[in-house]
Amino acid sequence: MLQQILALIIIIFFLIRLFGQKRKKEINAKEFLVWLIFWLLAAIAIIFIKQIDQLIAWLGFSGAAINILTYIVVLILVYIVFRMRLTMAKMDKNITELTRIVARRKN
Amino acid sequence: MKITCVIPAFNEEKHITQVIAQVRPFVQEIIVVDDCSQDKTAALAKQSGVIVIQHAINRGQGASLQTGTEHALDRQADIIVHFDADNQFQAKEITDIIEPIIQGQAEAVLGSRFLGKKSNLPWQKKYLIMPLARLVNRIFFNINLSDPQSGFRALNRATAQKIKITNDGMAHCSEILYQLFKNKIKVKEVPITVVYHQYGQKFSGGLQIIKDLIIQKIIK
Repeated sequence: MLQQILALIIIIFFLIRLFGQKRKKEINAKEFLVWLIFWLLAAIAIIFIKQIDQLIAWLGFSGAAINILTYIVVLILVYIVFRMRLTMAKMDKNITELTRIVARRKN
Repeated sequence: MKITCVIPAFNEEKHITQVIAQVRPFVQEIIVVDDCSQDKTAALAKQSGVIVIQHAINRGQGASLQTGTEHALDRQADIIVHFDADNQFQAKEITDIIEPIIQGQAEAVLGSRFLGKKSNLPWQKKYLIMPLARLVNRIFFNINLSDPQSGFRALNRATAQKIKITNDGMAHCSEILYQLFKNKIKVKEVPITVVYHQYGQKFSGGLQIIKDLIIQKIIK
């Protein structure tokens, strides 16, 4: 129970931060929506952790629901890091192109 | 026939003047691309009277080669030679590199350290890194050449126009080979001599190349 409350407090903290970022226009609407859904799903999973446990057991899997949640979160984080890496690679390419244009313009 | 030599340089103040002096008798024009060196590379190259293009940010050897090649094409080069600034290549071998293009036997000529001429290649490179690089070229690009990572090459104008180096780092060697084969360019390898003053690319650099190639494949 205490763990659930702590987890929910953390999620509320990130949700407040998310709304703050949206208000300051630090993130666009699409990013806001993605993170909002992510944190809301995380909150729902935390609130209904016992039901998820029962569902997992009913489906024939062993292990606590929190383990499954952890695996899902790790997979999501790996995916996010991968997407970020690709975005950075594209930005890198653009920086090179810009550097080239500036360098050649001087000659 | 206008032969232009593109020399990418990063912190090469020790060698750049000598390299330019050695290359000059064999080409009509030299373009040094200074990749935001922290030393006097650009100033020394300018003193030598060659064209110097300066990147405001360090972008890597692949990026510098592309910058130099585009500039050479704009300046109506007929043959473009890629040559390193670290004084490891032999300028007199530029004649060997461009000869097959002049004779119409090839559209791109690649220098190879493994075709007879003796290079003082460190054993780790010879027996570990190069075989691995050959394997990567075979797996990723289905290319089978004796030297998978040589930076000494010549391209005729039409070929240089078709090749676009997008790998900014050291993976550009494999990328150039891939594009040559993809565009069905007539390629010839000629023996070259490389004198190693320092170790150069390490094993970790090889792994970086593989990583760059994978990312490049994904973002394309």
